[in-house]
Amino acid sequence: MWFFRAPTIIFGEEALSYLASLPIRKAVIVTDRHLRETETPQKVRQALPEGSQSLVVGDIDDEPNLEQMTHHLDAIRTFEPDWFIGVGGGSSIDTAKILFFLYERPDLTVYDATPLVNLGLRKKSRLIAIPTTSGTGSECSWAAVLTETTAKRKHELASPEIIPDYAVLDPDMVISLPAEQTKNTAVDAITHAIEGYVSNWRNPFSDAFSEKGLELILGSLPGVLAEPTNRKLRANVHIGASMAGLSFSNSQIGLAHALGHALGARFKLPHGKTVGIFLPLVVEFNSPVCGDRYARLNALFPEAYRAESLAGSVRNLFRAMGQASTVSEAGVGRAEYFAGLEELVSSASESTGLATNPRDAGTTELRELLTRAYGGHG
Amino acid sequence: MAKFPSEEWASEYVAKLNSNANYEDAAKRWEGSITLVVRKDAAFDKDAYIYLDLYHGKCRASKFSFAPEELPTPEYKYSGPYTNWRRLINKEIDPIQGILTGKFKLEGSMMTIMRFTRAAKEMVATASMVATEF
Ligand SMILES: [Fe+2]
Repeated sequence: MWFFRAPTIIFGEEALSYLASLPIRKAVIVTDRHLRETETPQKVRQALPEGSQSLVVGDIDDEPNLEQMTHHLDAIRTFEPDWFIGVGGGSSIDTAKILFFLYERPDLTVYDATPLVNLGLRKKSRLIAIPTTSGTGSECSWAAVLTETTAKRKHELASPEIIPDYAVLDPDMVISLPAEQTKNTAVDAITHAIEGYVSNWRNPFSDAFSEKGLELILGSLPGVLAEPTNRKLRANVHIGASMAGLSFSNSQIGLAHALGHALGARFKLPHGKTVGIFLPLVVEFNSPVCGDRYARLNALFPEAYRAESLAGSVRNLFRAMGQASTVSEAGVGRAEYFAGLEELVSSASESTGLATNPRDAGTTELRELLTRAYGGHG
Repeated sequence: MAKFPSEEWASEYVAKLNSNANYEDAAKRWEGSITLVVRKDAAFDKDAYIYLDLYHGKCRASKFSFAPEELPTPEYKYSGPYTNWRRLINKEIDPIQGILTGKFKLEGSMMTIMRFTRAAKEMVATASMVATEF
C-alpha cells in the first residue's frame, strides 16, 4: 500500500488568470527579495479576484533560515488570511508552506511537521504555489527545507498536508528567468527525476512522472538555453520540472540530495549546483544495484550528450551547460572544505534521503563520496 | 529458531543489533529508549512488549514482557498488530512507510526522529537476521 499525492495543477498560457475564479478573500503573497523589485508580485495581485486583499511578504532570502521565514508571522496573524500564495523559487514556496503550517497550528513548531503525524491543517486557510523557476518541484511536493544557521545544516520538513492545493505553472512566470538560475534549477529537476526513479519507495506513478519529466526537460533545455524567450520550450521545461517534482515527492529523494543539502547549508551554495556536483558520483555508486533502471533513463538523453552510462551522459550535459562538476570548481577552498568534512558526513548521514537511496551508504561511503566530489587531488 | 515475540527472540535480536556495524554507524548520535509493541490480532492472542534502551549505536539494556507495567517508560513507542510485525520482519513493509500507511504507530517526540530513518531501516534489517519462527 502506498499513495500518489498531487496538487491540482493549472498549466499553460494564462494559467495565472485562474486565480480570479478562486474564493480568495485575503491572501498572503510570499516572495523573495529579487522578485519584489520586479512586476511579478504585481501580476499575481492583479490576478486575484476583485475585492480581495493581499499582504506581501517580500523579503525572503536565498536559502532562508527560520527567523527570516517567520518574522512577519504576527502581522500575518493579525491580517487573518484565507490563502497563502508562494511566488518564486523553492525558498519562497517553502516559506509559504511553513507560514501556512505555523498559521494553522500556532501550538506547534517546525520540528513537529513530520509525515508521521496528522497535523489537521486547512482549518483557516489554503495554499497556492506559483513557481518562477523550473526545478525545485516544491509546488508539487510535501517537503520544505530551511537552513539552520547555527548548526550550518538543513532541516527537511515533510507532511502530505503541506502539499499545495494548487500549483500554477504559467510559462510567463519563467520567461525571463536568468540563465544561471535556469541552469541550476534544471539540474535540480533532472536530479529529482533520476533519484525518484531509483528510490526504495519508487512506484509506477513516480516512474511515469520521472520518465516523462526527464524527457520534457532533456528535449527542451538546450533550446531554452540557446533561445531563452521561446515560450513553448520554456513551458516544456516548466512542466517537466513539476513532473520530476511529483516523482520524488511520491517516492523520495536519495543520496545526491543528502550530500547536496549538507554541502549547500555549510557553504551557502545554490541547491541545484550542489546536487548536480554529486549526481554523477551517486549514479556511479548506485549503479551496481539499479543499473537497469539507469539504462532506461540514459536512453532518454539526446544523442548529443548520450554516453554509455547514465553518469557519463549526465556529465556530458552538465559540462555543456557550464555547471561546476566538483566542489573545487564551485569555489570552495580545499582547506575550508576538508576542515569541515566530518560535519558534512554526519549532516548527510542524518538526511532522510539516505534511507530511500537504493544502495546503503554509511559514513565511510559518504566520506569517500564527499572526498571525491572535491575534485583534483581530493 | 526463536519464536516471535518472546524473551528468547528479544535477546537474540539485541545480540544481533549490538554486533551490527551498519546499525551502530547509523545510530551513532541516537539517544532514546523505545518499546516495540506487538498488538494482539486474529493471529496472536495477547499484547507483547520489547523495551530497548538505545544509546549511541548500542542497545544498553532490554526487557521483554507481556505486561507493560513491568517495563520502564520509554521515550518512544512503535506499535502495530502482530500480523504487521510479521510482515515487517519478513521485509514486506518498510518501517517508515509502515507508519505513513497506518500499519504502525509511532509515539514520542518527533523533533529529530526523521534524522534517524536509516537507523530505523537497520533496526528492521537486524530483525530479519534473527532466525524467527512465527
Ligand atoms: Fe532538489
